[in-house]
Amino acid sequence: MPNNPYSPIETKVLEVTTETPTIKTIKLKPKEEISFATGQFIELTIPGVGEAPFTPSSRPSVKDTMEVTVMKVGRVTERIHQLKKGDIVGLRGPFGKGYPLDDFKGKELLVVGGGCGFAPLRSLMYSLLERSDEFKKLFFRGGCKTPRELVYRSETEKWRERKDLNLKLTVDAGDESWQGHVGLVTTILDDVDMDYASGIAIVCGPPVMMKFATRKLQEMGFKEENIYLSMEKNMSCGIGKCGHCRLGIYYACKDGPVFKYSKIKNFPNIWD
Amino acid sequence: MHYISKNNFVKLLEALQADYEVYVPVKKDKQRFYKKFNQSSDNVVIGEVRAYEPLKAFFSRAREIVAEDFKTDKVPSSTNKPFAIVGVKACDLKGFKVQDHVFTNHDYKDPFYIRNRQQNLIISADCTSAIETCFCMALGIQPYPRENFDINLSQGKEGFLVEVGSQKGETLIDKHSSLFEEMPDEALSERDGQRNWVAKKVEDNIKENDIPHQESYKGIIEKKYESDIWKDEAKTCVECGACNTICPTCHCFLLYDQKSPQHMARLRIWDSCMIKDFAEVAGGANPRPKLWMRLRNRFEKKFDFFPKVADIYACTGCGRCISACPAKIDIRKVLKKLVGNAQ
Repeated sequence: MPNNPYSPIETKVLEVTTETPTIKTIKLKPKEEISFATGQFIELTIPGVGEAPFTPSSRPSVKDTMEVTVMKVGRVTERIHQLKKGDIVGLRGPFGKGYPLDDFKGKELLVVGGGCGFAPLRSLMYSLLERSDEFKKLFFRGGCKTPRELVYRSETEKWRERKDLNLKLTVDAGDESWQGHVGLVTTILDDVDMDYASGIAIVCGPPVMMKFATRKLQEMGFKEENIYLSMEKNMSCGIGKCGHCRLGIYYACKDGPVFKYSKIKNFPNIWD
Repeated sequence: MHYISKNNFVKLLEALQADYEVYVPVKKDKQRFYKKFNQSSDNVVIGEVRAYEPLKAFFSRAREIVAEDFKTDKVPSSTNKPFAIVGVKACDLKGFKVQDHVFTNHDYKDPFYIRNRQQNLIISADCTSAIETCFCMALGIQPYPRENFDINLSQGKEGFLVEVGSQKGETLIDKHSSLFEEMPDEALSERDGQRNWVAKKVEDNIKENDIPHQESYKGIIEKKYESDIWKDEAKTCVECGACNTICPTCHCFLLYDQKSPQHMARLRIWDSCMIKDFAEVAGGANPRPKLWMRLRNRFEKKFDFFPKVADIYACTGCGRCISACPAKIDIRKVLKKLVGNAQ
C-alpha cells in the first residue's frame, strides 16, 4: 500500500510572528522533512478543526522547517492565528506544480504581488535571489491596500538595497508613515525597463488584482504564455480527486496552482 | 462459457460468504436494493435492471475515515471482509471508467479505492428488462456487461450462463468447479434472444423520449454555455444534491475533521457540486454563486471535462438522477435541449 495521501505529518509550531493585525507567519517543523518547490502548496491541519491550503512563504532550500503566512479570513485561519509555540499541527504535501525556475534562466523577470499574494512570492523571491545571476534582470512590484497591511517590511527593505533587484512598492491608500507611491500596483509597472516581448511576468494576488495586472501586462507587450498566475481555488484533497478546485480541464491542486495565462485564458470566468 | 443451475448458484453465494460480504439486489415494491445475502434472502433479483444504489458505494463509501492521528504511512485497515457484489448491471460498470480515472490514474492514487477495486468481487448480470428511465444505449452501452466484471451471469429459465471476465473470476470458477456444468446447447441462443429483446426496449425508450445519442454531444456545453437552458432548468432545483449522490460517475468528496482535538480523525464524505459553498474559498469568493451556474457546472463536468481529460462522457444512462430529483429535472430533456438548435 502506498502512503496515505489524506494523512498529515505531525508538526510542531516553532514560532509565531505577527506581521499585521490580520496576518501571522507560523514557523513549522514537521517530524519528517517536507521539501517543496517554490509555488507548491501544503495543507495545514489544526487537529479537531480542519485543514486549509497555503503556499509556504519560506526558502525551499531550508528543508527541516517551513513557514506559512496566514491571513485571518475564515474558520481554520482564525484557529491558526491562536497557535502558540509548541502546539502540534499537521502538514500534508507538497502538492501541485511549482514555478518552472529553470525555464526562466537567461530571461528578464517581473514579479508582481498584491496583498495576500506576498506570501508565496516571498518564497519565490528567496529562490530567485539565491540564483539571481541566472536571470538577465529582476523586478519586483508589490502593492497592498494600506501600509499597515504590508508584510515582510524588513525583507523588502533589505531587497531594496540589492543591486540585482529593482523593487518598488505601492499602497492603495497611504498614511502619515508612508513615503512611497500611492495607487494600484498596475500604476507602478510602466517604469519596468525590460524587453516585454521576451520577458516573464509572475503575478500573485487577489483575483481582481491578477485580472487587471494581466490586462496591463498584455498591453505592455508580455506574451500570454509568459504570464504566470496563481489561481485561488478551493483546494481540499490536494491530489485531484475531491473535485472542488476544478478550473476548466484542470484541477488547481494538481495541475496548478501556478498556471500560464495562455493555458487557462479560454476557460469561462477564471477570475470569479 | 460455463453454466450454473439456480440451486447451485445459491450454493455458490453461500460459499462466497466465507471470503466476502455478499450483497444481492433484493426487490421491494418496484425498486431493487442491495442487501446482504443470507440463507433466508427473499426476492433476490439477479436480472431485471440496476439497483437503486449506485455501485460506487461499495468502492468509496459515502462516509469513511481516511486518516487517524498522524499515521501517515498507514491506511486505516478495514476489519470487514471485501464485498462480493452480485447482479451489477452494465451501466454501473461504465461508472468504473470514470471512478478509475479519478482515483487510480493520477500521480497520486487513492489507496482506499484501489484496495477495494483489488479485493471486491463483481458478479455482474445482463439486464432482463428495462424501465422507463433506462437510456444506456444513448451513451454507447449495451444492456449487458462486456467488461469490468469478474464473472457475468446471463439468466436463463433454469440457470445462468456464466462468462469469465478476469483472472479473479477464473480462479473463482476453478475453486468452485463442482457447482458449474457444461453449457446446454440452447443457452447461448436463449441469452442472445434475451439481450436483443432488452436492447430493443431501451431503443424504444430512446426513440420515445427523443434522447440524443452521444455522437451528437461533442461541443454541446461550449455551444450552449450562455444559453437560457441553465436558468430554465435550475428554476425548480432545491439544491438537495440527490443527483450527485445517486450518480455512478460523480466522485466529489469533502474531507471533514472530527471536532475532537485529542483524537484526529478525518472523514471523507460524498459531496455535491450543487451545494452553494462547494467551490467557495475561505475568503468568501465563489465562482458559482447562483444555482443555475452550479447546474451548468454539473453538466460541464460530465459532458465537457471528462470527455476532454478521459475521453468519456460521465453519464451511464442509468436514469437514477431522473428518478431521484424532487424537482423533476430530467437529464434526457437537458441533453435534448443542449443538442438542439434553440438558444
